[in-house]
Amino acid sequence: MGQATIGLQHFLALSTVLFCIGMYGALSRRNAVGVLLSIELMLNGVNVMMVAFNKYIGTAQSGAFDLTGQLFAIFIMAVAAAEAAVGLAIIIAVYRLRRTVAVDRLDLMRG
Amino acid sequence: MTEMPNSAEPVYVAIAFYVLAAVAVLGGLFMVSSRDMVRSALSLVLTLGSIAGLYVLLSADFLAVVQVLVYVGAIMILMLFAIMLTPGQVELPVSTQVIQKGIAGLVAVLMGVISLFVVTSTPWSLRPNPLDQETSARLGELMLTDFVLPFEIASLVLTAGLIGALVIARED
Repeated sequence: MGQATIGLQHFLALSTVLFCIGMYGALSRRNAVGVLLSIELMLNGVNVMMVAFNKYIGTAQSGAFDLTGQLFAIFIMAVAAAEAAVGLAIIIAVYRLRRTVAVDRLDLMRG
Repeated sequence: MTEMPNSAEPVYVAIAFYVLAAVAVLGGLFMVSSRDMVRSALSLVLTLGSIAGLYVLLSADFLAVVQVLVYVGAIMILMLFAIMLTPGQVELPVSTQVIQKGIAGLVAVLMGVISLFVVTSTPWSLRPNPLDQETSARLGELMLTDFVLPFEIASLVLTAGLIGALVIARED
């Protein structure tokens, strides 16, 4: 790293940083929607990594147009959308019952 | 004839990458540290937009547009609606927050350091010429031939997820 041309390692480093920021948010936020936002950031970090691998990794014979990484990223987006929808529906239902979405107050199942 | 990123001057590519990466990381940092939920969501929108720009740098033209349409245009709107429907939730600090944020920060930094070490020291088998073609037609072709099973299952997952979300969030 440190050359003028941007290569695979630049994108992988960015992806790692985004993933770790998202992980910090998911572990430390008190609002449940905030936790979901941090999870979306983690998923985006992984998406960047997938697309970077698709562009830069391969063998000399990979003349065939291989887009597996980008397809992975599209399917990750689809699953992230479904997961965000269901997660937010659960949060809204919990708010209706308990009037709070702070994760430390939602401890009914704690022993 | 579209210009693809590999034919651009490396200096311009480097400037674009560093600007977009800085915006993405700063947006992420602001998102995890803001107490106001709306500001948090809007800074994540900024991050997702700059990630769409990074996809353009990575020659993923279709994916960049899909990122804006799906992530920024749908998922973040959904998050903003949820923030609207759960009002009054400004994150006031409690006494255990300091310890929790400390441990979370430690875990995140540790994981980041280890991952960065692995990423920069692995001998990746790089292609001699990075991929640089238009992707939309080929993505459609792959989705209906090699990847038809994940494609169909993804539509099932989305349908089931949306019906489930409707049932859970319904007023009754």
